[in-house]
Amino acid sequence: MSMRKRTSELFLGTASAALLALMTASTVLADQPDEAEVGVDADEEDAIVIGGSIPMTGVFAFAGLQFNDGIRDFVRWANEEKGGVNGRKFRYVGQDTGYDADQSVGVFRRITSREDVDFYFGDSTAFSQSINSALNRRDILMTGASFASELNNPEQYPLQFLLGPDYTEQVGILLNYIAEEDPGARVALVHSDTEFGRDPIRASEEMAEELGLEHVETIVTPAGASDISSAALELRRARPDYTIFHGYILSPIPDFIQRARQMGMDTRFMGTIYTMDQGIIDEMGDAGDGFMGVMPYRYYYDEEAPDTEVFGAIHEMHDEYRATTYTQGWLAGMLLMQIAQATLDAGDELTGTNMRKALDSLEDIDTGGIIGVPVTFRGNSIPVGRIYRADAEEGRMVPVSDWIDLDETD
Amino acid sequence: MDWLFFFEVSLAGLGFGALYALTGVAFVVIYKATRVINLAMGEMLMFGAYLFFGFAAGFMLPVWLAIVLALAGGALLGLTLERLVIRPLLGENPISVFMVTIGLASVLVGLVEIIWTAAPRSLPGFLPDDPIFIGDAFVAPKTFWSFIIAGVVIAVFLVLFRFWRGGVALRATASDQGAAYAMGINVPAVYSLSWGLAGMLAAGAGLLLGSIAGISSEMGFFGLTVLVVVIVGGLDSVLGALVAGLLIGWIESLAGVYLGGEYEHLVTFIILMVVLLLRPWGLFGTREIERL
Amino acid sequence: MRIGSPKETYAADESLFRTRTQWVWFGILLLSLVLYPFMANLYWLYLVCLICINIISATGLNILTGYTGQVSLGQAAFMGVGAYTVAWLDNNASTPFIMNLLAAGAVTTVVGIIAGLPSLRVKGLYLAIATIAASFILQFIFINWESVTRGTRGINIEPPTLFGVEFDNPDTFYWLVVPVTVVMLILAANLFRTRVGRAFIAIRDRDISASVLGINLPLYKLMSFAIASFYAGIAGGFYAYFYGSINPESFPLLLSIFFLAAIIVGGLGTILGSILGAVFMTLTPELLRYGVDVLEPFVHDASALLSPVRTMVFGLLIVGFLLFEPHGLAEIWRRIRRFFHLWPFRN
Repeated sequence: MSMRKRTSELFLGTASAALLALMTASTVLADQPDEAEVGVDADEEDAIVIGGSIPMTGVFAFAGLQFNDGIRDFVRWANEEKGGVNGRKFRYVGQDTGYDADQSVGVFRRITSREDVDFYFGDSTAFSQSINSALNRRDILMTGASFASELNNPEQYPLQFLLGPDYTEQVGILLNYIAEEDPGARVALVHSDTEFGRDPIRASEEMAEELGLEHVETIVTPAGASDISSAALELRRARPDYTIFHGYILSPIPDFIQRARQMGMDTRFMGTIYTMDQGIIDEMGDAGDGFMGVMPYRYYYDEEAPDTEVFGAIHEMHDEYRATTYTQGWLAGMLLMQIAQATLDAGDELTGTNMRKALDSLEDIDTGGIIGVPVTFRGNSIPVGRIYRADAEEGRMVPVSDWIDLDETD
Repeated sequence: MDWLFFFEVSLAGLGFGALYALTGVAFVVIYKATRVINLAMGEMLMFGAYLFFGFAAGFMLPVWLAIVLALAGGALLGLTLERLVIRPLLGENPISVFMVTIGLASVLVGLVEIIWTAAPRSLPGFLPDDPIFIGDAFVAPKTFWSFIIAGVVIAVFLVLFRFWRGGVALRATASDQGAAYAMGINVPAVYSLSWGLAGMLAAGAGLLLGSIAGISSEMGFFGLTVLVVVIVGGLDSVLGALVAGLLIGWIESLAGVYLGGEYEHLVTFIILMVVLLLRPWGLFGTREIERL
Repeated sequence: MRIGSPKETYAADESLFRTRTQWVWFGILLLSLVLYPFMANLYWLYLVCLICINIISATGLNILTGYTGQVSLGQAAFMGVGAYTVAWLDNNASTPFIMNLLAAGAVTTVVGIIAGLPSLRVKGLYLAIATIAASFILQFIFINWESVTRGTRGINIEPPTLFGVEFDNPDTFYWLVVPVTVVMLILAANLFRTRVGRAFIAIRDRDISASVLGINLPLYKLMSFAIASFYAGIAGGFYAYFYGSINPESFPLLLSIFFLAAIIVGGLGTILGSILGAVFMTLTPELLRYGVDVLEPFVHDASALLSPVRTMVFGLLIVGFLLFEPHGLAEIWRRIRRFFHLWPFRN
């Protein structure tokens, strides 16, 4: 018992010492910036401040770290090469959320209680929904990692926009491509049982029928790690010509593909934006060959990339491949720059409402080469994308279609 | 009704059910010896899988060596947890111990995320991947081989329980600690043994699960389904864990195909509710443990 | 040093505040709660609102687990029921927010009683496992009952208004959530001066003896579930108003574990424990955030360690307190107080 008591005291001692240390540290650091921070100093009066709830840890960290780098590099470039907008420089403040919506809200509160934020980058659909009323009240424009169809509604989410097509539009681009290449083809959808996975499914099933395709099956896989054996059997029974995955990053797609091969299935596998990074090639090697999907941005190694403004700058900063999520961070910055320019040109303050007005007035926006064609917003999204195919031999994604603008195909 | 399809789906379910059974046996071993319901079982399984990943993909060791080291690491983890955390709580309210294992689960998840980050990964393959057909029915090779391995391991354990001194000591301790101690059985050593064995079993199940479904810091969720399995089978029955493991695997698989993937876990937890209400000691459990 | 606290009636012996000093301290506490919003910035007000929501929920769980001895891992799912009730009423009926909150409490109470039914048949660990099952089933309902919950798309809630004031920001929301929290805490503390509360404690200490003493076990167990869920429902309602949007993923099993950790760390079976635990557990991530910043210059990528370290610290706190301080922070608090009470006599 005395042994127990001593350890108890030890535990308490250590715990309280740690606590004290943290408390002291917190009082010392309370008002100091403690996050990714780039650009001009906080005391610069007319800085354009970008805040960010960034998932630098947790399941979405692979993307969050890239968003962070992308926005940071954009801010450096825009301040140094471009001199900001009308002489007003950018400043970026981002903090980790661990990909937890409540944490993201906390980070938003933290950053906005300290900085006069003009533009915000969010990390999830849940966060975008939670923070919506606070955004409207504080009059801040926001974009982020989510491509949820739910957010593509300017009436409900007037101060938010998406960095590409929403998930329904992404699947729509794939379906349009299929309908063109292979009219009447049999299509199956495979999605995870999550908010992310369920998003485009119902609308896509209808769209497939409208485009004259045969929707043969929709398969749901439960969230979390589990066996997909029976789902693979179900897929084989449906005998689709095309199988579209949505709601996954990588796993269990490789497993599906492998099993389909073993069962001698003849189907083409496709994916949406977050599955379309290098991962599928790097992870699967030859087995990933032929995987197709929609991507609204150019890849780092795109043949035309070096000639574009943005990729020219990126190539100068980085010799190695940068993920598409990194490009996504850049796109947020590039769009902000255009919007801020238009707002200031109109003689308005950089409030959310004014910036939204500017966004609506802009047509054929030049994204500095990130998207291959000039783009115009439709609602809150940019309904443009391109179909790429994984080429295992080259180890890259190669384009197989031109840029598809849903506004033109409708 | 497409009977071939039904048969294939059933095989897939039974194959995965074997993993439930294997982890369920680990659960039962711990429960029998120390009367602890270990909610950290799923996380111990995850830790084993990550150890293998670390040895095989991180240190680039040969696969067989990585497997051995991961199993040893799993056993060591079990021993350490028992000695450091479970032993001091001996005789305390079972609810405290239960809550401690919830805490341990959280610690293990944090540890794995610190070392390997939260990004999902896939394990280096170590199972043969030539397609296998039973009659006309296709069985995914990974499922097939993990079923075989799990079956062999469980069989070995059953033999050990029956004939090996340690196994007998374990069973003696399970039925009456005091009497076992009076007969000269080193009861504390049995506690360690049970946690070590369970840790090793869990690590093994983690390897198989990881090779089938990939690894992530969330794979501990698997442990909750296994909890259902052992409750359905009876907490102190190895046979129960076996039967219930296969049964739940089979039912989940059928539910996934005929009702939809979103129903898989729902069905499992409804079964749990029904069993708790009608027969809380499970299919093969001893009835007295109803009163905890 | 305190000497002599004579009690002349049973009522005096049972009263919450026995001495004038305690009343004075309570007054000071209330006063500082009133003054706080005029001194703190928005972020700290945000944290206090969050702490209050967590206190309400933790208090409910403590009544069930700490006082009645029924372990529940369903508290987060119950909060979800309350949150969805508020959300549905807000979107489909233009009832005032107080009605919505009370309705959230009422609906959750009913759901809690249903989820508590297994407690009539099983107890202890089996019950804890049954509540895990219940929370998964509720989760399934949140996701799939789309006509009410809008499924995974989530549902938005307008900020509450009262007398034309919109409580849409932490600085106004504070005035809503803090008084309610204080009231609910006083109610909870008073509960244990009544027959019902004492019956709960008797059940926890030994259910068979309690039953011999004439306590109707099923009735009181279900009552405990009902009260715990009522608290969860109110907390969930506030959660919905506070965040302005909820989805099925807002109430994971992890959140239930968070509340369990909070009452373990704070102290099972004391009201003070629920408060201390909720405050401590809500602020721990904040402290860790600063801790990580201290490490930043020395450790590569320290900020990437934040959320795993948080997960681990939550676990370590549960294990550490159960092993070494099973009565939690409340007990430490009491020890400190005793030290001052006995001060010159004991050194």
